[in-house]
Amino acid sequence: MSYFQYKDSPYTIRDDLGTAYRGFWSQLARPGSWWAGEQRIAIAQETRNAVECEFCVQRKAALSPYGLQGEHDGDSKLDNIATDAVHRIITDQSRITQAYIDDLAQQGLSNEAYVELSGIVVAVFSIDEFHRALGINLETFPDAEPGEPSHYRPDKAVAGIGFVPMLPPDAATGNESDLWHNEQTANVLRALTLVPDALRDWMKIGAAQYLTMEGMASMSQQEGRALNRMQIELVAGRVSAINECFY
Amino acid sequence: MLRVSAKTNSIDIDLSAINGDAGAAAMGIEFGEQLMKFAESVATRNAEDLKIARDELLEVAGELVLVDAAAVAANFQRMVRIADSVGIPVDNMDGDIGKQVREELKLSRFVTAKNSE
Repeated sequence: MSYFQYKDSPYTIRDDLGTAYRGFWSQLARPGSWWAGEQRIAIAQETRNAVECEFCVQRKAALSPYGLQGEHDGDSKLDNIATDAVHRIITDQSRITQAYIDDLAQQGLSNEAYVELSGIVVAVFSIDEFHRALGINLETFPDAEPGEPSHYRPDKAVAGIGFVPMLPPDAATGNESDLWHNEQTANVLRALTLVPDALRDWMKIGAAQYLTMEGMASMSQQEGRALNRMQIELVAGRVSAINECFY
Repeated sequence: MLRVSAKTNSIDIDLSAINGDAGAAAMGIEFGEQLMKFAESVATRNAEDLKIARDELLEVAGELVLVDAAAVAANFQRMVRIADSVGIPVDNMDGDIGKQVREELKLSRFVTAKNSE
């Protein structure tokens, strides 16, 4: 099945968007570093369940996000720990804490598995949000491919900033040499590097939705885009402000 | 980045557009007001507001702008969740432009400011 064809879209969708989304769907179906294909699809499905979850609405309104007991909506194929992590990232991300991530690890959701889960959640959510923004139906998920996760962890990932270990700026070498060059990086790029493929996935989607890495450094208009840089940053800034993004 | 891109292009803008001031959004940025309202409606996830904002942007700017704006908005629905789900701090809290923007927009009111302390 060929995904993201947009034959019924009322608007012309740039080819690079469909290509990026198809590429991610293909990756999503395969075994990752810490989750099998079937589990990755389950995380993706849970991302959609979280958007409609009534318990998440109640929790978002609660003074403390960690005291309220209840069950998330949707027929999750994940365990309760992973299901809750997905829902928090979608509906109450600003109140995620180091203590919560440490507690997940104690309950069996390792930092590595959490980072891969986060990468899937944000990618699926972002792709879905593009469709919702245009009033286009969401794409169906691909069928999972068989196989085991690789359990690949980059040797140089270290704890220090943020809630999980990350690659330092000088660690984009060896298997990770494609992630950035000359130590030119940023914390948001390093955020998911405990699972390098999670960063690779978001860079490909980000290059189509926002800007390429090279494009970010240039303030002139990018070829093939209808928005100039100020228009892009106005949209980016307003969305970030509503999401209470300090970063 | 809005401040930097405006400076680079020698255009005066009013940064309070980021906090939802429609008049400010119109200053120096083509379709600024409609883009701001569209971005706002994507982020707040109100279906009715979104349809209105989408139709308004489409009418004044056309479908190419609408599709690009949807892509950027969708991307930043993601970025905040990456940053907050792993608690990354701001890279450089001491830079002049960053300090100025954070003060101007009163960003320290956000819960996740604690991740950069």
